[in-house]
Amino acid sequence: MKNIAPIILSLIFPGAGHLYRKHIQRGLLIILSFTSIIGLSISRISLLAHRYEGFFPVLKKAFSNNPGFIIFLFLFTVLLWIWIAIDSVKYSTLKKRPGVFVLILVIFFGLGWQISEIDVVKAAVQMPDAWKPLSKVLWPWKAAITYKTEELTGGADLVIDDPDYVLPALNRTEGKPFVETDPRWGSLSTLDKNNEIVKGTSITVRGSGFTPGEVGEVWWLDSISNEFRPREGGQYLSVTPDSEGKFEFTMTLPYRLIPPSAQGVQINRVEIRQVRRVGGPIPADPLKLTIARMVETIFMGMMATIFGIILSIPVSFLAARNIMSGSWITVAVYYFVRTVLNIIRSIEPLIWALIAVVWVGLGPFAGILALTIHSVAALGKLYSEGIESIDPGPIEAIKATGADSIQTIMFAIIPQMIPPFVSFSIYRWDINVRMSTIIGLVGGGGIGFLLVQYIRLLDYQAAGIAVWFIAVTVAILDYVSAEIRRKFI
Amino acid sequence: MLEIKNLSKTYGDGTKALKNVSFNLEDGEFLVIIGLSGSGKSTLLRCINRLVEPTSGSITWNGADICAAKGADLRKIRSQIGMVFQHFNLVKRLSVLNNVLSGRLGRVNTWKSLYYKFSKKDYEDAFSALKKVGITQQAYKRADELSGGQQQRVGIARAIMQEPLMVLADEPVASLDPVLAHTILGYIERMNQEQNITVICSLHYLDLVQRYATRVIGLKDGEIVYRGTGEDIRQMTDREFKEIYGEEAERVNAGKPVKGAGL
Ligand SMILES: Nc1ncnc2c1ncn2[C@@H]1O[C@H](COP(=O)(O)OP(=O)(O)OP(=O)(O)O)[C@@H](O)[C@H]1O
Ligand SMILES: [Mg+2]
Repeated sequence: MKNIAPIILSLIFPGAGHLYRKHIQRGLLIILSFTSIIGLSISRISLLAHRYEGFFPVLKKAFSNNPGFIIFLFLFTVLLWIWIAIDSVKYSTLKKRPGVFVLILVIFFGLGWQISEIDVVKAAVQMPDAWKPLSKVLWPWKAAITYKTEELTGGADLVIDDPDYVLPALNRTEGKPFVETDPRWGSLSTLDKNNEIVKGTSITVRGSGFTPGEVGEVWWLDSISNEFRPREGGQYLSVTPDSEGKFEFTMTLPYRLIPPSAQGVQINRVEIRQVRRVGGPIPADPLKLTIARMVETIFMGMMATIFGIILSIPVSFLAARNIMSGSWITVAVYYFVRTVLNIIRSIEPLIWALIAVVWVGLGPFAGILALTIHSVAALGKLYSEGIESIDPGPIEAIKATGADSIQTIMFAIIPQMIPPFVSFSIYRWDINVRMSTIIGLVGGGGIGFLLVQYIRLLDYQAAGIAVWFIAVTVAILDYVSAEIRRKFI
Repeated sequence: MLEIKNLSKTYGDGTKALKNVSFNLEDGEFLVIIGLSGSGKSTLLRCINRLVEPTSGSITWNGADICAAKGADLRKIRSQIGMVFQHFNLVKRLSVLNNVLSGRLGRVNTWKSLYYKFSKKDYEDAFSALKKVGITQQAYKRADELSGGQQQRVGIARAIMQEPLMVLADEPVASLDPVLAHTILGYIERMNQEQNITVICSLHYLDLVQRYATRVIGLKDGEIVYRGTGEDIRQMTDREFKEIYGEEAERVNAGKPVKGAGL
């Protein structure tokens, strides 16, 4: 019979039964979990049916939107409710019964799934779409190299629709490409009222002085300098000069792009352009920029670490309990410094970078500033722990020889501090370089700045180069810093 | 001449480690302090060179008031008092040589010690100190590479380096084996006998006390419960010994039980 009270209490309010049986901690934990489950469920359900009012309409709408979630919530919450009631009588300090908390975890998992909008189907369906940019990121090296090119251009002017207009005579220079057309005037292709094509004049283009055997592109320049490559039968026009560098072909004048109402003499131009590579492959802009930014990044990390070390040494003494335990004033300073360091450290470097960008503007200096601030806090804490763990024995022994405080620091404190100091500093350098690779995402300079620009321009190959450099640098750094730390301890 | 009057020490947490301790000590004595763990031996030794601040009472040494000394005066007094510790208290990451040289810190310029610089004479003295304790070979090793016995020799060399007028030794052999104990105490005794250096040493084992002491003080709960000469202690009965060490105490011969009194 004595079991009835906790069961009824728990059914009225889950957790109350445990409190009644003096399992205060467990009871409070259950109450907290259960109320947050209910609170979250209500908010998620009303979000699923927003703009609906009243209990049942909302539930109906939410159910039609996401039946799985609603059924899951309903079933498991009821199950939990009952389980808690049973647990409230069965639980004893001797017999641990983790079942309730497993169930609570399951419900939280379900809620979490819905809240964080996890969509496995979407991830699977859209995978092929992601593959194309991803493959460019994974193997971006085509964009890393380029070639110097040389352009050999020759062209001739034509008058449109005016056979009487006299163009200046063409003069041929030895060793320079030369192009002439026959005739030197023509009409452009147009569309008539019925959208039928009215073909333009057919002209013969002759040229000489070009590189033999090398394909040349045919370009058309109209009177307002629109440049385009005319097509014939769907193909871009191109020519290949013979062994003497000469060619001849006929083409129909392309479509008219300027309105017929245009005034004055219309002079168009046909050009033959031969582009060819000279010399071997050279690094392309993305590669050059990436390397420059990577160097900048490594130095950003280095500078931030150096500034961080210099500033955090004095701070770390103020944050070391054994040094500051002298009087209530020093103890107060100790707690103050500790608190400030903890607050600074709990704010991520990226957020500090946002603040620094407002402060000193975009660029690597903002990144260095942000990383320095965070480093001082992190190193200050690590160093102070190093100071706290030093053995007081040698300090006593050195003091006993009549040494003053500077000598005591030099002979007893510093030698003890060096190993943790070196280890923490290198560890921090490692972190700072990692951080400076992404601090550019918010404008803090370094390679992240470049990366985010490439991603925004959808230039996945260039972005891929940056990603590769980041990965390789971080991996090398990881290895080097681990190796140095291992040697030092 | 060392005069200690009504010396008391109460630690911050209220522990009364010393209560009205008074005694006089002539120069050149080998005073051994005995007493159970927690009886205040270390506190007494540390009060003498002010590693621990006495709460009340006075310590006068050759006319100088140790309790009142401040700053440079205190450092000068400390530099004349060598100290040897149970756990050696060497600076582990420094070389043996630098540990020995640190015995000179009371007399070198502060700025020179910023870059660990010592004079040529300091180096010569350091090597001769190392020679006295027989570990010249290890001079350039790091202190923590040495065995316990070797480390304590470095500790003694550091004290020798101070050219002290008095040596305080806080259970210098408690963490060493019996044979080494005699070696280490032998070095201290030699300083005492050859240079007339006053020694104040706390020891646990009665037979070591009997072997080395010229004077003995027994402490119990921070109070002096026994005073005697070396002669007295050599005739000490089990009863008196238990008086100081408590009922559960046994005689030990450098760690091993012995039958009967004396060596
Ligand atoms: N820094 C301290 N703060 C508070 N109490 C202390 C401190 N140092 C020693 N004590 C206490 O003072 C008393 C005497 O300690 P002390 O170290 O002088 O004893 P001891 O005779 O040297 O013991 P042992 O033989 O174990 O070294 C002990 O009760 C000890 O707990
Ligand atoms: Mg002690």
